[in-house]
Amino acid sequence: MVLHERLANLLTDSSAQELALYLLGNVPGLPPIAQTVHILGICIVMASIIMVNLKFLGLALPSQNLSEMITRLYPWAWWALPVNAITGLLFVIARPNRYFFNPVFGIKISFLVPAILLAFVVYRMNQKERGYWDHTLGRRISGRIVAGLSLVLWVGVLMAGRWIAYSEYLFY
Amino acid sequence: MIFTELWEWLQGHPASQYIGFTWWFPFLESIHVIAITLVVGSILVVDLRLLGISGLQYSASRVTRELLPWTWGAFFVATLTGFGMFVTRATAYVENPAFQIKFLLLVVACLNMAIFHFRAFRAVHHWDADVMPPPAARAAGAASLVLWIGIILAGRWTGHII
Repeated sequence: MVLHERLANLLTDSSAQELALYLLGNVPGLPPIAQTVHILGICIVMASIIMVNLKFLGLALPSQNLSEMITRLYPWAWWALPVNAITGLLFVIARPNRYFFNPVFGIKISFLVPAILLAFVVYRMNQKERGYWDHTLGRRISGRIVAGLSLVLWVGVLMAGRWIAYSEYLFY
Repeated sequence: MIFTELWEWLQGHPASQYIGFTWWFPFLESIHVIAITLVVGSILVVDLRLLGISGLQYSASRVTRELLPWTWGAFFVATLTGFGMFVTRATAYVENPAFQIKFLLLVVACLNMAIFHFRAFRAVHHWDADVMPPPAARAAGAASLVLWIGIILAGRWTGHII
């Protein structure tokens, strides 16, 4: 059995699913509140990873320093992303079949994983060596390629995230 | 509800019906999410600078000047896409309490921005490089933070009521 089917089977009728369904159904306003926290996490990704990518491409924040921006802004994303994992998992655990058998959710995850990996590489190299992405022409060019790719991936994550609820328009 | 005929006319327009019954609605909705997260993400950076929490090595006016074009550009896109979604069920949205609260909060957020711009920010040269801006600027930053979180919450809640 493929991984997503195993996960769906594991969660279906589990006590975790029971708890998630109970919370979503009985805590007043929890679904929109959890979704709002999820959206605020995306706002932080926008203000950190996306803004740094735009800076890489020379499109935003002309007077700020790239290396300093990465050091200052990425830790915000390292907090926001786990919070988004939690708020997202609440809905996935409550209705595993809705997500694990939904091709749009698959697309979202397959964009999200490389997007996070790219962000981690950008951060890690900059922490090892201040100004890493500015020091040589080769690094400046690779930085731009990474930034462009990362922007495409994040737009894909956001689009797919919203389309999970509308997959019937695409696949049925 | 005021302007009932206008809302009915908007909703009855063939273009509104077309958006409402095709992939256009989720398409506009996903662009709306990208736009509002860019709006609030960029505002968040300015607010945290005004509160003396982050970005302190840059002057407040520089942070504001370089981020606001992104905020306004994204806000424009959010307005267009939001209007596109609104017309599909205009009569229901205007009576939706979450939607009403969202627009009330948007008006307050605009007022907060205007007051800041024409008062505390007018004297920005006195405190521009200060790590901790004056109380009026900090209050505007704090109010903005709370208001925009409220706008997202009310906006998301709108979809749960309709």
